[in-house]
Amino acid sequence: MRAFLKELTRSQVWRSIFRHGLPLSNRTRAEAVFYNFFLHLHPTKVRKRSIKYTYTWGLGGLSAGLFIVLVLTGALLMLYYRPSVQQAYNDMKDLQFVVSSGQFLRNMHRWGAHAMVAIVFLHMMRVFYTGSYRPPKEFNWVVGVVLFVISILLSYTGYLLPWDQLAYWGISVGTNMVRAVPFGIGENISFVLLGGHAVGENALVRFYVLHCFILPVSAVLFMGIHFWRVRKDGGV
Amino acid sequence: MNTLRKVFAAVAVLFLIVLAVSPLKDFLREWKRYQVKYNTLTADLPQRVKPVEIGIRQIWVEKLDRVDRCVTCHVGLKEPALKNAPEPYRTHPQMFHDTEEFGCTICHEGQGAATEYMESIGKGKYWDRPILPRAFMEASCAKCHKEQEVPGAPVLNLGRKLIRESNCLGCHKIEGYVKQWVPVLNGVGSKVNRAWLVNWLKNPAGYAPKTRMPDFMLSNDETNTLADFLLSFKEFPAPLDPIPARLASATEAAKAKLVELGSTRFREARCISCHPINGKGGYVATDLGKIASKADPRWLYNYIKNPKRFQPGVPMPRYRFSEDELLGIVAYMQSEFVDYDMEQPPAHTPDPGFFEKGRALFNKYSCGGCHELGGIGRAEVMAPELTSIGGKKLYEIDFGKSKIDQTLPSYLTTKLLQPREFSSSMKMPKFGFSDEQATAIAVALLGNDDEKIPDELLVRPAPSAAFVPQGGFGKLVDDLACFGCHVMNGRGRLVATDLSLEASQAQRSWIEGYFKIPYSLRPVLTERMPNLFLQGPEIKTLVDFMETSFIADSLDRDVPSDPVTIANGRGLYFERYGCQGCHQIGTKGGYVGPPLDKAGTRLKRGWIFHWLKNPQSLKPGTIEPNNNLPDAEAEAITAYLMTLK
Repeated sequence: MRAFLKELTRSQVWRSIFRHGLPLSNRTRAEAVFYNFFLHLHPTKVRKRSIKYTYTWGLGGLSAGLFIVLVLTGALLMLYYRPSVQQAYNDMKDLQFVVSSGQFLRNMHRWGAHAMVAIVFLHMMRVFYTGSYRPPKEFNWVVGVVLFVISILLSYTGYLLPWDQLAYWGISVGTNMVRAVPFGIGENISFVLLGGHAVGENALVRFYVLHCFILPVSAVLFMGIHFWRVRKDGGV
Repeated sequence: MNTLRKVFAAVAVLFLIVLAVSPLKDFLREWKRYQVKYNTLTADLPQRVKPVEIGIRQIWVEKLDRVDRCVTCHVGLKEPALKNAPEPYRTHPQMFHDTEEFGCTICHEGQGAATEYMESIGKGKYWDRPILPRAFMEASCAKCHKEQEVPGAPVLNLGRKLIRESNCLGCHKIEGYVKQWVPVLNGVGSKVNRAWLVNWLKNPAGYAPKTRMPDFMLSNDETNTLADFLLSFKEFPAPLDPIPARLASATEAAKAKLVELGSTRFREARCISCHPINGKGGYVATDLGKIASKADPRWLYNYIKNPKRFQPGVPMPRYRFSEDELLGIVAYMQSEFVDYDMEQPPAHTPDPGFFEKGRALFNKYSCGGCHELGGIGRAEVMAPELTSIGGKKLYEIDFGKSKIDQTLPSYLTTKLLQPREFSSSMKMPKFGFSDEQATAIAVALLGNDDEKIPDELLVRPAPSAAFVPQGGFGKLVDDLACFGCHVMNGRGRLVATDLSLEASQAQRSWIEGYFKIPYSLRPVLTERMPNLFLQGPEIKTLVDFMETSFIADSLDRDVPSDPVTIANGRGLYFERYGCQGCHQIGTKGGYVGPPLDKAGTRLKRGWIFHWLKNPQSLKPGTIEPNNNLPDAEAEAITAYLMTLK
């Protein structure tokens, strides 16, 4: 066994993936973090104070984790869901009654989404109360606010997709509130969002594209910037 | 550090278990149990029944945009061996439409996509159309079947009939129905007396149990005001003729003689064919049992003399009575049809503003929706339109404080039985429907659905024929209100016979005789055709028209009348086909069909021949069997029947 492991760690394949030895010295420990894609999110050196769990409560990491859960379950749901007035609600029913673990997928996605909004908000509060928005991290706070808005928008655009009464009226009310923005701006925003003046097929397609492509991609972009900044500032 | 790892491991295992719940639930789905049970159940049967392959089964009905998975558990719907099996395996009783073609939920409602019991019957959350209770099943027929009489749907047909007859159209808009004739109220103040009117408004069924007029549940004040208002309309559009003065000066003996004459004519004219007397008799017109306590004799005299002069459109014939006969009938009614128990309302002084208040009440209860009165038309504010009431969503219904089941069928039934159940401020009157009638009407209303049905599946009503006979015949038909009972060329109410081919069927002399003394062809039927006391020239006009219009040349046919054929026909009649089983000749034979004693003077030979060949082509639905007679046999029987004179 030991011989096998030794053989394995010496093989070309192993060494092409892990370009450093076991993290036994300070140097190799640093290298382990440095050369690993997943671990490179962490700065090479962290202050002891910020490792303390109760300092961050792991809220940023939880948000990112939930985002991954939502992307995975969302991708699976996309296999069954068609954004058309005729089919959307029936597809929902098929997920519930026919698709293997379909209801579980929907529930994961839904509860994950709720949890993400809540945790992103808690994360923001934590940053506020620990004063982490102060220079030199003020730009990252702004990026964080953008991410918060994207989370809310993701949650809202997903609301329409089941195409039930709740969805229909939720979006009707929401877009009508947008229309209250003065100087005709609100009307234009509402028109662009709905692709018309009422909630219908166009609105459904637009919300679908926003929910499944535009907003997640922008979230990923901003998350990249956010994490990079966190790392540069020596956060966990 | 080690404890942290242990906690981590424990949490990981816990998560795995939680994740395993979902596939487990998937594996243990409800429908699988049913299918496995089906296979064990059918294996025990003596008949061979094909076992079901475990898996979700569904019917996709593209044209109706439905996916029904009911057949996942209802596996044996078409399996005759499962007639007495427990649900969900039992054979479907009577199938009007193939499930493969129409699915299940188009008729039964419920949630077709569901694969769980509670969800599939639509009793779970978030489903607007729960499964239809059995009593209301026929509502679904009406989604596609817009025709008058839907075969195999007696409840629906009864409901539609009740909607028509109760004149729901007075207040509600419902597509596909026409307004019924209702008396005009002009001159009502000179027609009825106050005591009667007050009692009538308070409780119409108390005067005439079968009346169409519903109970508006008026308070005493409302009744008095409305009565005062109505009684102020004393002028008829046409002036009343005075009752001849000589009646007043007649002796008692002369009066008694008049009453006797009236009684005879009343019977001869068969008034009770249409008018019930205290609930007994016909059903198409008003109960006359207490008419003398209601209507002024002068009005009665004028009305019988010429009904349409006072009630345009009333389906009552103008009898050709002489003045004496008219007087006699009125006198007879006065002596016979009195309500001795009529309550006298307490003395009452009219409110000075009774006219305005009365008009407000008249409008509030939309009396003008049914009754015409002066220039007052239909009220502006109408009751809700009912054209698509069956598609009404539950959240759109206000159940008030009522404790009934919150479903559309129970809402409609309750509303029909107790119209003010959901709010005392509602205005709908009480029609006094029985439970069965209320259910039937609810069924017809539930069928008024907003469901999108493709055009090729809709069964539309036959276009109503607008046959308006012209000339002298037309005038007589209008005057005698023939359409009230007879159908001619697709128009009219089928109480009596369809006359469209009458002259092909009956001989001229027989029709003429029948107008003079009508009788019933079948001993089992009550005699209903009234004696209209027509004059010779009038009968000639009627029969002339029939001979040219109500006749089909294709039904004309000459039949040999040599003794051999007649003898042959006689043999066929008695021996081969046993016609005497239903038809009477002389004193022998059954009484299901009309007697053929004088068939030779009544019927035309062409008619008998074609009738024998194919009775249903001449009268759809007749019970005369179609024996597929060869021409020679039909001719022989015709020849024999034509000898019976």
